[in-house]
Amino acid sequence: MRYLIIGSSAAGIKAAETLRGLDREASITVLSEENEPPYSRCLLPEYLSGKKSREELTFRAGNFFKDNNIETMLGERAVYVDPAGQEVILESGEAVGYDKLLVATGASSTCPPLPGIDKVGFTGIRNLDDADLILNRCRSGNKAVVIGGGFVGLETAYALNRRGLDVAVVELAPHILALQFDATAAEILANDMKQSGIKIYAGTATRELRPPEGLGRLGSEAENTVVLDDGTELKAHLVLTCTGTKPNVELLVGTGAEINRGIVVNEYMETTVPNIYAAGDACESTDLVSGEKGLTPIWPNAVIQGKTAAYNMAGRPRKVSPLLGLQNAVEFREVPAIAAGLSTSGPQDGLEILTVHQPTRGIYRKIVLEENVIKGMIFVGNIQNAGVIAALIRKQADVSKIKDKLLDYSFNYGYLWPGMVKKELEEMEAEAV
Amino acid sequence: MKEILLDYDKCNGCMACAQACAAEHSESKTIVGAILEGVRPRIFVQSVDGKPFPIICRHCEDAPCVDACMAGAMQKDPETGVVTNEGHAEACVGCWMCIMACPYGAVDRDYRSNTALKCDRCPEREIPACVASCPNNALFYTDVNVYADARRTAEGRRLLAIG
Ligand SMILES: Cc1cc2nc3c(=O)[nH]c(=O)nc-3n(C[C@H](O)[C@H](O)[C@H](O)COP(=O)(O)OP(=O)(O)OC[C@H]3O[C@@H](n4cnc5c(N)ncnc54)[C@H](O)[C@@H]3O)c2cc1C
Repeated sequence: MRYLIIGSSAAGIKAAETLRGLDREASITVLSEENEPPYSRCLLPEYLSGKKSREELTFRAGNFFKDNNIETMLGERAVYVDPAGQEVILESGEAVGYDKLLVATGASSTCPPLPGIDKVGFTGIRNLDDADLILNRCRSGNKAVVIGGGFVGLETAYALNRRGLDVAVVELAPHILALQFDATAAEILANDMKQSGIKIYAGTATRELRPPEGLGRLGSEAENTVVLDDGTELKAHLVLTCTGTKPNVELLVGTGAEINRGIVVNEYMETTVPNIYAAGDACESTDLVSGEKGLTPIWPNAVIQGKTAAYNMAGRPRKVSPLLGLQNAVEFREVPAIAAGLSTSGPQDGLEILTVHQPTRGIYRKIVLEENVIKGMIFVGNIQNAGVIAALIRKQADVSKIKDKLLDYSFNYGYLWPGMVKKELEEMEAEAV
Repeated sequence: MKEILLDYDKCNGCMACAQACAAEHSESKTIVGAILEGVRPRIFVQSVDGKPFPIICRHCEDAPCVDACMAGAMQKDPETGVVTNEGHAEACVGCWMCIMACPYGAVDRDYRSNTALKCDRCPEREIPACVASCPNNALFYTDVNVYADARRTAEGRRLLAIG
């Protein structure tokens, strides 16, 4: 059996590791465009800030491939899949055969159509090359503007701030982190960021990007100008654009595989083409809360999908459990925060909202329910036991009996005992007998 | 493989387990030293409507915290079954994805190092410190099979797998 995995990241590495666990003999090859050992792109901000070295970005031991007897083809880009011949064609012209193929190609940064971006140049943050480019640019001056106040933009802004740069963030939505957090939560997090000197311009479109003018262009102090909607001009040696990603689906275009925004897979992580599977940021799967197909682009989901794909590729049918597309944990300066599910919903959405807000303590907790089932949550400031609530979302359990306790700081797993926990134990016992 | 089990009815919330845990994980190995060093316990004695309820990691077979760890720091040892974010080359960065993933609430923040804090089953000990210190026999350290057998009896049914 020849397994070929394209992408050496969260989904690809977990799949390779799982396959080796299930099949000692098979030939397993991991192919990636990036000529790097398995590193976590989530740690790139730590690399930018200087907290982690390049070597410290790996999420598997240095001898991972060798220990697991996995072949690698690094620095190779796959350009085409021939499903009839069961071959992947590389940019070099080489053809690599497979019996089972996993497409774990992830996503790439998207460049928004901002006036002038062609002149200033687009810089995003998705891989080590991007990070190295940014670090290089940091040498030419210390002013940075980050366009996009989402999770990745803010992590990057904070990292540059830690590095000693003067950083401003521009966000189109009325507040930062608009996908994950509501206005109340975002305000606490924005205040925390501002403490470190980061400036935040929210509810502001970017009108234009202007490259350095005249002599400035030659000097090391060359500054770009970011013009905001209200006319404010921000100077920046480094303009970063963190406005989103798009799944890398091109490889399967023309193969007959169904593609929406991402590669469509069923619960076995199979695409619509035989022997081709997909996992991670590149694919679309069913969201647990909405029940709809969509992208679920976070690290834990990529790992779970990669693992599930491996089981099915190895002929051990296993369904992926519906995943929570939106789940994020953050801590910029000192306020930890977690959001999951329909976290930004309000009463206007016809949902029941429970909240506690203690602005002076920087604490905010919100739980979103629909007919006594938790659909979303936000925990800011105090995140202990956040996982218990997230687990109730994943289980879609009826919480009517404990609803009044959910927001207590003292709410814990024990409250699910004896009811839910005991039931779980009885099921375990029934299985054991 | 052994597990830490709890006989919920026998726990009276004396906190001996939490103190012993903190002591074990301190430099000085004493309760007072742990307090001075600011070491937090990894077994969380919480309460349910006033009745104490200790919470500790179960070292899950298919551990969600391991899947969630984007630094690769949280690992399950294939030999001992212990799940921990400590002692690996891949270092924890305190992103809290594991806190979000753990359905038991068994991971907390270590304020000193800003990393995730959880049970490591006391690698230097035969019997974990929490179990050894429990004066009420509410905590046990038993083989999982023995546990499964025990659960078929009325007495055994009171036991809860917590570690
Ligand atoms: C700065 C940053 C911070 C993040 N922080 C978090 C976080 O804290 N928590 C979280 O859950 N998620 C975070 N994410 C998201 C997380 O990194 C992704 O969800 C995860 O990496 C997805 O993994 P993947 O395996 O699907 O794909 P990717 O990690 O995108 O990897 C895909 C790989 O495939 C390669 N590839 C693509 N096409 C080809 C081809 N044609 N031929 C050969 N190779 C190819 C790519 O070069 C890449 O190496 C962050 C992302 C970024 C950029």
